[in-house]
Amino acid sequence: MTGSNAHTRWWADGAVGVIVLDNPPMNVLSDDNRRGIREALAEFRGAGTRAVVLTGAGDRAFCGGADLKEEEELTTETVGKFLQRGDETFRALREYERPIVAAVNGWAMGGGLVLALWCDVRVGSTRAKLGAVGVKVGLMASNVQLSRLLFEGRARDLLLTGRTVEADEAHRLGLLSSVVAPERLMDEAMAWARDIAIRPPDLVAALKQALNTALDPIAEPAPR
Amino acid sequence: MEIVEAAGINVALVAGRCAGADFARLLEADLRIAGDGATFSAGGVADPVACAVRLTRLLGEAAAKELLLADRTADAANALRLGLVTRVVPGSALGETARDVAERLRALPPLALSAVRDAVRAARALTPGDALALEHEHFRRLIATQDHKAAVAAFFARREPAFTGQ
Amino acid sequence: MSHPAPAVTVHAAVDGAIGTLTLDAPPLNLLSDALRAALLEALDEFKARRLRAVIVRSGGRAFCAGADLRDEVKLTPEQVQAFLDADEAVFSALAGFPGATLAAVDGYAYGGGFELALACDIRVAGRAARFAGVGVKLGLTVSTARLARVAGEGVALDLLLTGRVVEAHEAHVLGLVSSVTDDVDTEARRLADVVASRAPLSVQANKAGLRHCARLPLAEAVAYERGEWARLQRTGDHKEAVKAFFAKRPPVFTGE
Repeated sequence: MTGSNAHTRWWADGAVGVIVLDNPPMNVLSDDNRRGIREALAEFRGAGTRAVVLTGAGDRAFCGGADLKEEEELTTETVGKFLQRGDETFRALREYERPIVAAVNGWAMGGGLVLALWCDVRVGSTRAKLGAVGVKVGLMASNVQLSRLLFEGRARDLLLTGRTVEADEAHRLGLLSSVVAPERLMDEAMAWARDIAIRPPDLVAALKQALNTALDPIAEPAPR
Repeated sequence: MEIVEAAGINVALVAGRCAGADFARLLEADLRIAGDGATFSAGGVADPVACAVRLTRLLGEAAAKELLLADRTADAANALRLGLVTRVVPGSALGETARDVAERLRALPPLALSAVRDAVRAARALTPGDALALEHEHFRRLIATQDHKAAVAAFFARREPAFTGQ
Repeated sequence: MSHPAPAVTVHAAVDGAIGTLTLDAPPLNLLSDALRAALLEALDEFKARRLRAVIVRSGGRAFCAGADLRDEVKLTPEQVQAFLDADEAVFSALAGFPGATLAAVDGYAYGGGFELALACDIRVAGRAARFAGVGVKLGLTVSTARLARVAGEGVALDLLLTGRVVEAHEAHVLGLVSSVTDDVDTEARRLADVVASRAPLSVQANKAGLRHCARLPLAEAVAYERGEWARLQRTGDHKEAVKAFFAKRPPVFTGE
């Protein structure tokens, strides 16, 4: 099974689905990317894929985030739709029943960082660079993700400074689960995906669901 | 893995492989210390979903997913990086570390120990403001205890305090 | 014998958009009424001057060793909450400051001094930094709420149940500080410059968001963040960021 659109390619490799954001050099998040991710996941779901790897084409960026030109032209009328398109894509990753491994091959900044953080596991090449750049462009993004993935001390530092986190520090902070040489990145990501894919699928789906909702407030018992 | 109780506080000491039921017990301990040869795996826990929930609240979502989804084994260095343990000592020093920690805990005022444990564990389900209010509630109760007065008197007399749990 | 002149306990300095508060009540920089009042007054002034980053530091061997036990023993039961509130006023002034607050710790940060560092947004350590949650040794509960949020339940239980001293390197490993350097003042200033160069409304929105979303279900937190994004997207500073990006120059933010 393979598919593609102008900016995205996807295929199945055994039980593992692979999605490549393919509009280098920065793989700036386009509507084709957003649609491609959602279509690919829908097809993988139909094909019984057990884990997915998401990466960016080229060696500069995983995903450079929103297109500032597109974003600059937003009006009060169109901004809601724009945000909704982004959210639908992020939600598709989060709510996909099987775990998704991000292979972070370069820059993941702004909306690109959000994309990586909505994945379940992240592995990086030594070229990986993470940036929560909301404060650099006068916006707010990845606040919700970082404060759930990490404890607040680390999340706050990254969010308020918008500083670039290189691969080794990202590993130390827990944002990358491993760091390898660029030429080994896809093998590493596929190895994580296969380790997930060989496990009982119902168990893995139940784990992902539990891990995703564990930090939601515990429901109060109904008053008697 | 061994769980040592001192002054009502459970200290998990991981010397070798910690998996399955041991892994679940590890998460319930108050303090988690590993020898440098320790390894950790959630594989084989009786209730994986409950373990996932507990682990996420304990470590945050990133570390919990790293540990649980691919079912890989973490070594002591990774366990420390992910917050699964908060101290790693040479394997040969684990026994001595355990004795030191137990001795330290037994020398502390018991009411404060249980209040600290309760307040920290409750914090995860509370808003920052509510967690602070709970901490203050304990503080107001504890400042009136004999043990607090004994601690202050010992501080000014430059001697070790003796606590009674009152 | 004449009364000594009231000691200056906090030196406040402003350089551009960055304020620095140097605790100067040697040897331990205990959290006295005078120190608290001086911190609050300076933070008020910094806020009025719309500073974008505040560094809290100390020149001595203590960052801040916490409460003065001589004050604390005099408290009547009715006064205890007021005593806690007086400390909390300082901690919340730091936590709620519209810009970023940074603790530059290169000495003892014990008890209330540890809490002072935890109330800041970012902590950097020098080699001589030492952190300890010593409340338990006095039979009290201190830092349980803040430390659990900053570094997690595991770290909070370890430090607050044992009261043990954590040195700079371990503080870094446990996520208590962002970095350990030989020159903590230079590092704090570097980070303060970074934050001060960012869009002030975004910095504020991120601080408020962390607090607001702390216990919200994910869907509500995401909706809140998206609302903030849409609000900020209309600001002059965001437009300036886009213009600067295409003109390949650094943006100049005004906080509007």
